[in-house]
Amino acid sequence: MQEYWIKPRIKRWKIIVSLASLLLFISIISSSMVGAAYVHPLDTLFIIFKKISFSNFHYAVNETHETIIMDVRLPRVIAEALVGMALSLAGVTYQAIFRNPMADPYVIGSSSGAALGASLAIVFGIGYGIFGLNSIPLFAFFGSFLPVLLVYKISRVGTRVPVTTLLLSGIAISIFLSALVSLTLIFAKEELRGIFFWLLGGFSLTNWMDVYSILPFLLIGLFGIFYYARDMNVMLTGEESAQHLGVSVELVKRRLILMASFLTASAVSVSGLIGFVGLIIPHMVRILVGPDHRILVPTASLTGAIFLIFADSIARVILLPQELPVGIITALAGGPFFLYLLKKKRDEYSL
Amino acid sequence: MKKLEAKDLSSSYKDEIIIRDVSLILKPKEILGILGPNGSGKTTLLRTLSRVLKPKKGVVLIDGKDLYKINPKDVAKKLAVLPQIQNPLFNFKTYEVVLMGRNPHLKGLQFEGERDLKVVREAMEATNTWHLAERNLNELSGGEMQRVFLARALAQEPEVLLLDEPTAHLDISYQIEIMELIKRLCREKSLAVATVFHDFNLASRYCDNILLMKDGKIQSFGKVEQVLNPKNIKEVFKVDVLVKKHPFTNSLYVVPIKVKVDQRANQREVGKRVHIICGASTGSKLIGELKDLGFELSAGVINLLDSDYEFAKDYNMDLVIEAPFSPITDSSYKTNLNFIEKADFVVMTSIPFGKGNLLNLDSALEALKMGKKLLVIDNPPIEERDFTGGEAKRKYYELKARGALFLKSYEECLEWFKNT
Repeated sequence: MQEYWIKPRIKRWKIIVSLASLLLFISIISSSMVGAAYVHPLDTLFIIFKKISFSNFHYAVNETHETIIMDVRLPRVIAEALVGMALSLAGVTYQAIFRNPMADPYVIGSSSGAALGASLAIVFGIGYGIFGLNSIPLFAFFGSFLPVLLVYKISRVGTRVPVTTLLLSGIAISIFLSALVSLTLIFAKEELRGIFFWLLGGFSLTNWMDVYSILPFLLIGLFGIFYYARDMNVMLTGEESAQHLGVSVELVKRRLILMASFLTASAVSVSGLIGFVGLIIPHMVRILVGPDHRILVPTASLTGAIFLIFADSIARVILLPQELPVGIITALAGGPFFLYLLKKKRDEYSL
Repeated sequence: MKKLEAKDLSSSYKDEIIIRDVSLILKPKEILGILGPNGSGKTTLLRTLSRVLKPKKGVVLIDGKDLYKINPKDVAKKLAVLPQIQNPLFNFKTYEVVLMGRNPHLKGLQFEGERDLKVVREAMEATNTWHLAERNLNELSGGEMQRVFLARALAQEPEVLLLDEPTAHLDISYQIEIMELIKRLCREKSLAVATVFHDFNLASRYCDNILLMKDGKIQSFGKVEQVLNPKNIKEVFKVDVLVKKHPFTNSLYVVPIKVKVDQRANQREVGKRVHIICGASTGSKLIGELKDLGFELSAGVINLLDSDYEFAKDYNMDLVIEAPFSPITDSSYKTNLNFIEKADFVVMTSIPFGKGNLLNLDSALEALKMGKKLLVIDNPPIEERDFTGGEAKRKYYELKARGALFLKSYEECLEWFKNT
């Protein structure tokens, strides 16, 4: 038993993470083969490996194909992976802080807030204002951070956040924020179509710049949240209980909310509103690997990446030649899942 | 040796002062029970002692150092708390929960090592939860879950253990089990223990010291025998109680008496006197109720140590007593007759009769001869409690023949007195 519990567990965790990473890698490659323009899968493989290995070996590929793969599809797929990771991570984190499995950036208004912040930045042309840096994520961050605090303050009853109050306050705030987004759209002129499409949640305009702008947030968020994994476990058994075990709960909570909001904001500023990833993925991964955040955090982020790549591959080809925003796909999958979860949890939470 | 010391603590919660000037000391191998009515500040005191609620005034010292100036992890290595258990969220395995007890001993991303596993195993074996290791937490019963969280607290390797109503919502068998366990661990691991209680009897049985709280202040603090007395309890809980030494456990036990102070004060004396012939705990209820109705009471002949005696002696009434388990002597028989003489009514409860207490029956006969109104509660009927070979039964017939009022129950008897 003693041996059985730690070493094999760590070993198992390593296998899980390696497998998920491998799967993600395969997803990235294979998703790059999917799209409106036909590029032969083998060609795709060669183009990507040529870049990765920096080798100069000669293989005759169509230059247009190389551009399609390297400048359109690959950045898009990688951005999808990063956004999927970010949303999934944010979901895991919000769920731990709210002590509630229904918390997700979309549900608690964090995504809508980020959308509002980002639309304001775009519409009023301050997007690229500050020191030439892309300030959209910054605006999105403030937009996503504030609703979380508000929802948390309103929906908290004692030391718990009941599903009822969480959902109600989350919905109210989301509706309010969406109204504000619509209001900003009125002021948008030539940007209207872009914003609208972006709000639906999609990657059709994604390029390498987006990848670079989300990457630092994601790395900080991933490692930061993973650092508090053990503390998050303890916090799930009660906040005061966690304090008794030496966790500085308020400090940890504040840092986690900050990081989760950064993740949400960076995801939203790249891809718009993509709902339910942070709800579906952590829940399914928890069933597979258990609730320990030391495995849940890495696995959920990898799985979130795979999930979004998969969803977007479908979005790209399902109505060819028309391309769907991936937000529609995740919402179509996530809505029913959300209801299922609500029904399942109803008894536990006496809704 | 002081392990944990609180000096002049005052804490408030949302600007409302909840505890005021509380000082106490916890020593290794000793259990302190914290008792008090709801809202008296017990839990607030525990939160202040466990570095959760910073005091407005005063200090908490652990090994002489200010608790609130040590970082939380170092505190958690010395001080563990068994909180009131909330329903667990997400499905942790029991083993994972106990493993969390090692949290204060681990840095950053460090994983549990061999020593941590050893400590966890010991904690689980000590609390008899090792066999539950693979079970999911929310499959456990209340008692099991309480033990698991106790194991988690022990896995912290604490020197001080604070418990918030460890027996709340548990069946009586689990209450005893968990308290026995805590007591054993306290002695074996030299823990200094403080625990909030609702139950006097558990507290007196398992604690060395008691702290009685009222309105956020210490009403009394000391050894169990010094603190748990009717006067203190009445002051804090506004209820009259009997405090006795239990013959089996030799610990104090507390029984509330039905009479409420204010009720009794308002009561008019009816100026009538009732003598009760009772014994073998057949009279206690009647004594309480009749006192409530305002009668003056006497009783006899009762054996010392009889539960009726234990009860009646706290009521400040005339009693005729006999040595424990001895037959009634002539002299006490005569004293008894004297009391009967003074009484307006005589009640005889359904005492089991043997040779030793037949004189009580005779005194009932005498009462009739004196012309007193005699009420006989005959339930269960005399046939079932006659151990004299028929003699008691014959005397009962004689009582009936001489006009004693036979009643079927003690309620009927009370009814009769109420109508009088």
